[in-house]
Amino acid sequence: MFRKFVPFVALLGLGITACQPDLESDFKSSAGSADFTRYIAVGNSLTAGFSDNGLYLEGQLNSYPNLLATQFKAAGGGEFEQPLFNSAQSNGSGYLRITGFDATGNPIIGNVAANAAVGIGADSKTPLLAKYTGTGNQNLGVPGIRIADITTAGYGLNNPVGFNPYFERMLGTSPASYLQYVQERVNTIKPTFFTNWLGNNDVLGFATAGGVGATLTPVAEFTTKYNQMLDVLTTGGTKGLVATIPNVTNVPLFTTVPVAAVIASIKANPQIPNASAASLYIRTGTNTIREATANDLLLLPARAVIGTGATQTTLPIGVGYSATMANPLPSQFVLDAAEITSVTNRTNELNAVITAEAQKRNLALFDANAYFTTVARNGVITNGITNTASFVTGNLFSLDGVHPTPRGYAIVANEMIKAINATYGSSVPQLNPGAYRGVRFP
Amino acid sequence: MNLKTLLLASGALLSGTAAVAGGYQVSLAGIKNNGMGGVGVGLSLDQAAMFYNPGALAMVRERGVQLGGNLTFARNSFVAEGGNTQRELRNTVVTPFSLFASYGPTEAKFRAGIAVYTPFGSKLQYAEGWEGRTSLTDIDLKSVFVQPTFSYALTDQLSVGAGLVVLAYGAVNLQRDIPLPDSYGHIELDGKAKTKLGYNAGIFFKPSPMLSLGISYRSKIDAQVEDGDVKFTNISPTFASRFQATKFGATLPLPATTSIGLGIMPSDKLTLAFDINYVNWSAYRNLEFRFDQQINGSTFSTSKRYYQDAFTFRVGGQYKITDAFTARVGGAYDNSPVKNGYVTPETPDADRISGTAGISYAVTEHFGIDLSTQFVTLKKRTQTALDLQNNQTTDRVAGTYKTNIVIPGLGLNYTF
Repeated sequence: MFRKFVPFVALLGLGITACQPDLESDFKSSAGSADFTRYIAVGNSLTAGFSDNGLYLEGQLNSYPNLLATQFKAAGGGEFEQPLFNSAQSNGSGYLRITGFDATGNPIIGNVAANAAVGIGADSKTPLLAKYTGTGNQNLGVPGIRIADITTAGYGLNNPVGFNPYFERMLGTSPASYLQYVQERVNTIKPTFFTNWLGNNDVLGFATAGGVGATLTPVAEFTTKYNQMLDVLTTGGTKGLVATIPNVTNVPLFTTVPVAAVIASIKANPQIPNASAASLYIRTGTNTIREATANDLLLLPARAVIGTGATQTTLPIGVGYSATMANPLPSQFVLDAAEITSVTNRTNELNAVITAEAQKRNLALFDANAYFTTVARNGVITNGITNTASFVTGNLFSLDGVHPTPRGYAIVANEMIKAINATYGSSVPQLNPGAYRGVRFP
Repeated sequence: MNLKTLLLASGALLSGTAAVAGGYQVSLAGIKNNGMGGVGVGLSLDQAAMFYNPGALAMVRERGVQLGGNLTFARNSFVAEGGNTQRELRNTVVTPFSLFASYGPTEAKFRAGIAVYTPFGSKLQYAEGWEGRTSLTDIDLKSVFVQPTFSYALTDQLSVGAGLVVLAYGAVNLQRDIPLPDSYGHIELDGKAKTKLGYNAGIFFKPSPMLSLGISYRSKIDAQVEDGDVKFTNISPTFASRFQATKFGATLPLPATTSIGLGIMPSDKLTLAFDINYVNWSAYRNLEFRFDQQINGSTFSTSKRYYQDAFTFRVGGQYKITDAFTARVGGAYDNSPVKNGYVTPETPDADRISGTAGISYAVTEHFGIDLSTQFVTLKKRTQTALDLQNNQTTDRVAGTYKTNIVIPGLGLNYTF
């Protein structure tokens, strides 16, 4: 009798082994009309993988170009070389880290010392960093660089009038400008695909200085130099992606210390005489003193300054009763309403240039400004995990309040992949942002 | 095969169940029925009628015991939205079982019986580090119902019956990862359900030897866990103060089911049957947990389910090849109670199509062996991040699920 069951059992066994559904064939990766064989990335600190106010090995490994290159491999991409610090220099330029919590539960942020510093430059102030000695560099991100800087000769040469140490460690001892360096890389590598996310520092520098001692790059100059860069990158019709400049007023550096909360704490401070009549007073970019309003943005470092050391008057810093009876918060700690308007307008003007060039040259465009505006408003939920633009707890921004965490860079890479896939009909797989950390806790 | 080995076998089988009908319902009672697409409401095949239609039990003249066990091989694949990596379950085999025994004097118009079966359950273990880890890593949901049943033949053609449905054993184990800024913690919820009562009832009508009809109803039971255990692991000391809960409570509705069935017997050898089940899944609105202490700032969590009532359509037939051998085939179409955009990892549900086959062999006049197998395929189902955002169900993961299930079953029956 059991013989008669044998075919039945065999059929069953076959059914079980053939049972695992195959979905991967539905999600095949492809390059579409793009070619990811040789990829180079041009940009600033965001491209270099700068995070926690420093450039260090973990950040470099989680740079969005490195993440993109890893995903490109599924669609024909090749190896990607970065100017990495070696493992003995893994702390790079040094970076910020949470060292503990104060009595009220606020994080105490401390410094991790640099271990890639190799002395001071010829200008007697810029710390030199351990040189990158490879020859195949494909991540050309230089922290701090503006479009305004790209044609400056000696920008990466150790010289007495000052230089960019991140460019210096890449360049060796050449007086070449950044544009010339990119041209050399293009000639050598013959890239088939590029990304270009330059332009942030052309407004960011002004904003992070609270509008003091830095300028916004003029639109005409930006347009000329941005096009020079794209001319080099698109040599021979090379395809690629450009990204817009996020409005910096959406990042935690400017949103973590709200004016209303500071005013409320001043009015509730029993040590200030007649506190209910007191308020927060600021010195604006045009050197006038006035009460702060919700239209002004306080920089993160203002938190450590407001209410301290009554040096000029009997009042602590930031506290006042009127424009004439105040110890105003110095201008570098506040981006006042007029400065915000300047920053926002210039950001929009420069983004118009970037967007127009992307369309004219048929390049993929990651509208980082639109994206981060949405994130600042709603956060972004990735695979069930809530991420927001909040400082420390939001997972997206590192401890400098401007640069992303590895999680933030992973989300940037995914948004770029979406733009690339949409433009070139490719199917580059996205990565799982949940596999990348937010802010590291002690 | 003696009674002692039978009991040992049943002990081994009492280890788990799996989702094999829409949602977390399992329709695997009766190996003969399994081979026929799960029909049974309009038939009086054997003691498994206590599950399908207690009204039909009085028409099952043979007294007897039958024991059935199934092996459920569920194979699930998942690809996250935008990704290309297929995640597969850490495969497990679960074993829904059933035991039916009936008795009544030979000439009496009644039959009394007891049924033990596993109508709801689910066991899934997702791949390490999969994209939906913060929704779910593991689930093991078990229920065992014990049902004393009484059925009475009002006439030769019409019988009625009812059972007291006792949720005798229910257990839930849910595990997921907790997203911390720089790492993942893990939470395990483990609890036993309180004993709860419900009922089922049915009417069976056989106006001619060629036609039979049935209708049955099983009431809803709320499986309720109180004082379940909460256990946290891998939470770094920095965050430990936010994860202090030790106990949880939760309620999971095991919904009411209404069924109608039709049996057609064109000849002595051939039986055809059609069933429709209607399950009141809309009772499952939210999955809510209460905690004795705060978890990340809240003592309460809720997650939308918003299930909708669902139909299952079944068809099956059997043919008596010889006196000893009976062959069966069948199929079912099972509408998912889970709406688009609401699919969760604990029930990665979709409309199901199943094909079944079975065979019985009568070893002696009193002892028989039944074999069945079911091939269940769930339609490929995709939900996008936008779907989740629109439904405010972003606590789960966007992507594409596809599941196939193979369920071989073995039944032993002894009649006297």
